[in-house]
This record gives sequence, structure tokens and C-alpha cells, in this order.
Amino acid sequence: MSVKYIPVQWNRNKWLYDGVMLAGVVAFLYLFLYVSPELLSHEFPINPQIHNARAFGACAFVMLTVILCIGPLARIDRRFLPLLYNRRHFGVMTTFVAISHAGYILNWYFTFSFSNKYEALLFANTSYGQLAGFPFEILGIFALICLLILAATSHDFWMKFLTPPVWKRMHALVYFAYVAVVGHVSLGILQDQQNHAFTVIFMGGAIAVAGLHAWAAYCDWRYGDRAGAQNANWVTVCDHTDIRDGFAKITILQNGDRVAVFKMGGKLSAISNACAHQNGPLGEGKIIDCLVTCPWHGFQYDVTNGRSPAPFTEMVPTYNIRLHGTFVQVDSDANPPGTYVEPVAIQKAAT
Amino acid sequence: MTQAEFILRIVQGWGILGTMVAIPFLTFGVDQVDEDARGAYVFRPLLVPGVLLIWPLVLWRWYVLGNGRDEWSARYRPRRRTHYAFAILMPVCIVGFIGTGLMVRQTWPADRAPVQLSQPGEPAQ
Repeated sequence: MSVKYIPVQWNRNKWLYDGVMLAGVVAFLYLFLYVSPELLSHEFPINPQIHNARAFGACAFVMLTVILCIGPLARIDRRFLPLLYNRRHFGVMTTFVAISHAGYILNWYFTFSFSNKYEALLFANTSYGQLAGFPFEILGIFALICLLILAATSHDFWMKFLTPPVWKRMHALVYFAYVAVVGHVSLGILQDQQNHAFTVIFMGGAIAVAGLHAWAAYCDWRYGDRAGAQNANWVTVCDHTDIRDGFAKITILQNGDRVAVFKMGGKLSAISNACAHQNGPLGEGKIIDCLVTCPWHGFQYDVTNGRSPAPFTEMVPTYNIRLHGTFVQVDSDANPPGTYVEPVAIQKAAT
Repeated sequence: MTQAEFILRIVQGWGILGTMVAIPFLTFGVDQVDEDARGAYVFRPLLVPGVLLIWPLVLWRWYVLGNGRDEWSARYRPRRRTHYAFAILMPVCIVGFIGTGLMVRQTWPADRAPVQLSQPGEPAQ
């Protein structure tokens, strides 16, 4: 969280997450390099540079596949939310693995050119007009540039500086990067793959990413908070009996704002559904001691004033709220972040 | 100058301009735009790669925040609807690439006679 920036914010859970991730990477590389080299068509003698390049390339692909599966899985089933918690470290590690892959490739296939190896990479194959023999390297370069941008802007400072919506849009580059990687593999190593164990892993992973995203979008559309935009100044959210104590109902306003209406000890409060950190869905969090915890990364807010507890400084907008009979209504004009709004008591207001 | 050299010159120029932005921004700019950065110096080297890569965006945000033109409400409007577009387009592109890759393989579904796909590259090689 905030207060003063430090290079990396660690805690026990993050150490554990990163430890498991690192162990997974080491195990993957060891498996592919020494236990089952035939998975990478290594039954023929090849030099260590190519050996390592393929192993790191395969590892980067699998890591990126896992990263892209976490988001939709967490939308479909909340039990996957802990995996979302430290996904940025996962992404940074993936970038380093991908850089290693690129380094091995550059320092073997292009380093003996008469020209600079980077120039050689760009002009070695310029047959962009054909699919067979397409210069698949360019797709890998594009994906690597995307990953570099994502890793380089992963610090919390960037989210606050660029604003979460801009940051999230920029980090949607991961989708373009993944498609480019699939193209890179399909038009590259897949053309020469003789042992189809890796082909099956590759196609299974890519189709899992594609399928999970399509499924999560369908679930969101079918069952999610698509209650529809409402345009009156006072917007009806739901009947107050529909809200469980300690939890929220979410609605979308005409201007695109998402509002989370919480019930806490028989009183109602409304704050923005978008966490100040990464715009995570606060309305899907639970209230404990007056504080709602963002299910994505654990940021907390007082639902009466939208402020994080001291010494943290994050704030979200609040909304004026009232009861019309048993129906909960919120004012569509948000209060500035951190504005206190007196909670509405259900018994008192309903009578 | 070959096209490859030209592209690399552009990359170098981008990096030089990024460095020119990074030095003042990380020296005093971050203090102007973010109160949480005041007195925090150890994390700043971590921002250097980001500034080098997206310096135009950094300049724009520095200008907006420095002039108090930031609209606070925009920070709380997630654009989740764009995920629907990604959820449709990404699977289509993935299946398209895999299908194309399998179709142009010279050893699948049956071995084909090898053909020369293209002429040698630029003479600069």
C-alpha cells in the first residue's frame, strides 16, 4: 500500500507465493532440460545454447499461459483469488525468463553475422508476405517489448501516476503479447516439431486461455453485475433485504461508475466499487470491523468515508444513499474521495 | 543505411529521449506529482526502465498532474467492458494462428517435397 514507496513490498504471503513460483520455474527448466529432453525434440544432438533457448522459451510460454488463466478463473470461481494476489511478481519473473530465451537465441543464431546481431535479427528473414517461412521472430520481439513495458511499469507508483484505468488499459497489452507468442510458436518451432508432446502442451495451454476468457466473459454477461445503467439522479439498487449483512450489492450508473452498497450492522453505506489501487471490485469484498477488503490485493476501506485506515492514504468516492420504502437508492453524483456519509439505518428509515 | 540500421537508430533515439525525461522526472518530478514519493529515493531506480519505455506518457501525466488538471472521478471508472472485446478477439486470433501454423507445416498431415520459400535476405548479411 502507500505511505512511502519502497522498491518491493514484501510480506509473508508474497514470500510464499514467490517461493512457490520460483520453485516451479526451476522444476520446469530441470524437467525439460534434464529429465524429458525429448519433449523439446532434443533426441537429436544440439548445442547448449539451443537447448537452453528452447527450455526458457517453453517456460515463458507456460508462465504466460498460467498468468492469463488466473484472471478468468478468479472471475469464475473465487477460490482462485489468492493466485491473483501477487500476479505482478509472476509477470516480472516471466519477463526475465523471456529475456533469457531471447538472449540465448540472439547469442547463437545471430551472433556470428558480419553485422550487429540486433541488425541481423531484423534483416535475416524479411518474407512478411508469406505464411510458410514467415519471420516469426518479429512476433516474439513484439511480445517481448509488451512484456518489458508491463514489467517496467509494475510498481505501485505507476498505477497511481497513470491512474488505474490507464494502467489497466496499458497492461491489456498482455493479451496482444500472448496472441503474438502463440503466433511466434505456431509459425516457428511448431513448423519443425517432431515430438508432439510439446505440441499438445502448447495447443492445450493456448486453447485453455482462449476458452477460459470466453467462458468468464459469458459468466460475467450472464450472471454478473450487468444490471444495466441507470440515469436518474437517485438510482434504485435493490431491496435492502437482498443485501446480506457484511456484504454488498453492485450497480452500474449511466456514466459508467460502479457503486457498491454495503450493509453493516443494519446500516447502509455506498462507496465506489473500484479500488483506488487497481480498480478491483470492492463490492465483492467482505466487511470486517467497518472495513471492506478488496478481494484482489487486500486494500481496505472504511465504507462510511471511503478512506483506508491510517497510516495508509488511499481513498475512494462515496455516494449519498437513502431508502425509498424498502428499496435502496444512491445519488448518481459521487462525493469526492474520502467524504464521510452518515450510514442509513434500515429500521429508522423504513418506518 | 539499411532498414534494420534505421530501426535500431529509432530505438536508440527513443532511449536517449527517455533518458532526458528520466533524469529530471526522477530527480524532482515525482516529488511534484506524488506525495508518497517525497523522501523516498530507493525505489526510484526501479522506475527508470518504465520512463525509458513510455516517456511520452510520462510527460503527458506529469503535465496533467503538475497543472492540477487531473479528473479525480476518472480514477474510479474501470473499463471492464473492453474485456468483452478481448474475450472474443483473443480466442479467434489464437485459434487462427494455431490453425495456420498446422496448415503450413510441411510435414503435416503428410510429408511434402521441400520448396525454397524465399530468396536470400538483404545483401548486408
